[in-house]
Amino acid sequence: MEVHAAPGDELAQLRARYLRAQLAGDLDDALRLLIEDGVHRGMSVPALQRGVLREAQLEIGRLWQENQISVAQEHMATAISNTALSYLYEAASRAPSNGKRVLVSCVEGELHEFPARLVADGLDLAGFEVHYLGANVSQERLLEAVAAEQPDLVALSATMSFNLSALQNAVRTLRESADKQLPIMVGGAACSSSGVELDADASATEVADVIHTAKQLVGISA
Amino acid sequence: MTLSFSEECSRELSLVCDSDGTILQLDKRAERILGVQVGSELRACMVAGSEDKLKTMLSEARNTPLRNWELALLAFGKPATLSFCARAAEPHKLELHALVLPDNYGETVEHLSSTMSQMLGLHREISRQKKELETKTHELLKTNRELDESNRGVLSLHAELADKAESLRHSAEVRGRVVANVSHEFRTPLHTILGLSRLLLDASDGPLTDEQQKQIRFIRSSAEELSALVNDMLDLSKAESGKMLLRVNPFGLHDMISSLRGQLRPLVPLAPNGTDVELVFEEPSTDATLETDQGKVAQVLRNLVSNALKFTERGEVRVSVGVEGDTAHFAVSDTGIGIGAADYAHIFEEFGQVDSPLQAKVKGTGLGLPLSRKLAELLGGTLQVESELGKGSTFRLSIPACHPEAHEIKQLEARPLDPEKAPVLVVEDDRKTIFIYEKYLANAGFQVVPARNIDHARNLLRQLRPAAIVLDIMLDGETSWNFLAEVKRDPRTHEIPVLVVTVTNKEQKARALGADEFWLKPVDQDRLLRKLRALSRPGSSAKVLVIDDDDRARYLMRKYLEKEPYSLLEAATGPEGITCAREQRPDVILLDFLLRDMTAFDVLDDLKGDPRTRGIPVVIITSHMLDATERQRLAAETEVILSKASLSRELAIHRIRDALQKAGVSKWSTPGVEH
Repeated sequence: MEVHAAPGDELAQLRARYLRAQLAGDLDDALRLLIEDGVHRGMSVPALQRGVLREAQLEIGRLWQENQISVAQEHMATAISNTALSYLYEAASRAPSNGKRVLVSCVEGELHEFPARLVADGLDLAGFEVHYLGANVSQERLLEAVAAEQPDLVALSATMSFNLSALQNAVRTLRESADKQLPIMVGGAACSSSGVELDADASATEVADVIHTAKQLVGISA
Repeated sequence: MTLSFSEECSRELSLVCDSDGTILQLDKRAERILGVQVGSELRACMVAGSEDKLKTMLSEARNTPLRNWELALLAFGKPATLSFCARAAEPHKLELHALVLPDNYGETVEHLSSTMSQMLGLHREISRQKKELETKTHELLKTNRELDESNRGVLSLHAELADKAESLRHSAEVRGRVVANVSHEFRTPLHTILGLSRLLLDASDGPLTDEQQKQIRFIRSSAEELSALVNDMLDLSKAESGKMLLRVNPFGLHDMISSLRGQLRPLVPLAPNGTDVELVFEEPSTDATLETDQGKVAQVLRNLVSNALKFTERGEVRVSVGVEGDTAHFAVSDTGIGIGAADYAHIFEEFGQVDSPLQAKVKGTGLGLPLSRKLAELLGGTLQVESELGKGSTFRLSIPACHPEAHEIKQLEARPLDPEKAPVLVVEDDRKTIFIYEKYLANAGFQVVPARNIDHARNLLRQLRPAAIVLDIMLDGETSWNFLAEVKRDPRTHEIPVLVVTVTNKEQKARALGADEFWLKPVDQDRLLRKLRALSRPGSSAKVLVIDDDDRARYLMRKYLEKEPYSLLEAATGPEGITCAREQRPDVILLDFLLRDMTAFDVLDDLKGDPRTRGIPVVIITSHMLDATERQRLAAETEVILSKASLSRELAIHRIRDALQKAGVSKWSTPGVEH
């Protein structure tokens, strides 16, 4: 995917500038950095998504952890990153449609939607038809959406470890629903840190892994 | 636990813990909010994943007092953010004060976040659609490029085809010209053979023995066959080059069949013991009137009947006619040898006769059927064959009862005069030409009143006063010239400008220059004598001058006139002929069209330019076609005569306008009507 990989230091520099704009609440500057200094200079959208936005979000988490920023600042910064993701999506070129439908959703109680959004965009640009349900999706809503959209794959995201039980419940509910063959994949920070047994078909968190795994699960040779 | 009102409402709490987070002291609010007691671990209150931040706070607070340290704890059983202040109180003890950040603050932020998330979803949706549109546009552009490319391919293919068609057309034209010229070249010696054999058979130079007569008859019949072949070839090449003129006239079906019957009866072979083949003409059930070229229809039927008779040894040849709606059907059936289906197409090819024993016996040019089919097409119809080997054949000619052109001209004739437009009387027997006039003149503010023959023109002239007359010098006799003279003599019509238009052929040109007759070789003896009798004063011995560089032609002429009361003068060259004419003042001059030293036109010019010879009637005799340079020269010399071949729209209108202006007629004047 990463055709025009920017040199590491250039990407790191851009990330630092982005983070400053993000914490200053300057959406315009954040977007300008990504589009003009990133996309227009030949950096690939996946590289910017991962190397700038996701890294910046992790940095925001660390800063809260060190109590250098408040929850309010964290929310503002995340809002900017969500908006930036949307603009990067606009600037990206989409692979020809592969005709497969994926439902991407955060589990119930999970308010961190950025990782799920990042994965949803990655799948979309890779040619999947993505239905993104967003943060804090109840099991009822998830079942309704599965029934309405008839997806070829469901991807569930959980970031906070205290949402692991919700993830377990969601997987179980889907398994007990009408389509027992529906492939389910799980991902997010919560999955990587735990040893919880999940009845999912696959687990992936890195966007490239998610796309690769999703293609395998729906039967497209990557 | 009893709480005061302030304790009950407060969102603040205070507690003391050791450096590991074990609670040592706490106030009632802390008990209430966090649900903990002395000895509880603060760690147990933390929201999963945020334990590290508690640890950091506890260790940092030992050295420095901390303010606004946010921790995620379970407050009132739900995750909530608490802002802590912490400092070291006594060794290994920490004093903590915390504020539970308002729930609704967090909820509002979550709500805003999810709203924004939805809006960003919309933004993505729009982006995606934009991308799809771009992809589609891209695909369309690509398709467009591909179409462009294939279009270019098609265009070059077209150009190639046009080239091919052009070269085919060119070679067809060359072939046609060669055929036409060769045929004409054949004609001259053929005419000599036919003429001389005729003379011999007439025993004009003494009687022949029976054997000699038989031999001469063979010579003559061979020459006649060759002549028929040459004529068919000429017809075919004319039809193929589109030069064949149609003479469409109304005629009765019944009359045509009667006259055909008379013409074809002699073709039925006479077997020694009476004929085995009967030629039957079915009476047409109704006597319909057809309007097409009778001569061409008869030519096709003659061809078909003579073919049928050739290939039928016994039985009958039956000709039937019928009109069905707008179509006339003619069928010629025989009980002859028939044709295999595989040969149906073949027989319509030139020289495409089918091999058979009978075929070898009978004679034919091999051009009859191809010519017949061409004629059928010219008449707007078809010629089809149905046949079975050994049982006979039926040829069907289907043509429109009213030739399409005749149909159109009828409409043109029937339309009422438009008082806004000046009428132009067009005397023209070729319908196509009338339509060309109509097209050109209608745009220039005139209306064409067509007259297809001189009588028709005379009638029309009695009914209306045209702004001008366009007169085609027709091939059939003197009437056109007489009509011109009539118009010019009559005080009622002499002011009407007459525009003489004609095909630039040698005959018309010759006539315009003053030739009195124009004959195509072979010269028919009877016709020659009749003409001479008409020209010369009765009783006197007329002098006839023959100007021809062909010895054989002059010899033939001499033989023709030998027994007649005419004295023959001969000249082998143009100047010789002119001198002879001036000195001898012959009563008539027979002039070969193509002399070696000068053309007939030059001779004519000289004769007509000299008062001594101007009055002498000149008959032009030819077997040669006009070539392009001759035509060009003629066109250059011509003033009053327009060539149809070069009759462009502009030229026609220009000339006619000039003529009208000379006569003081404007196209806006309302025509007077006279009776």
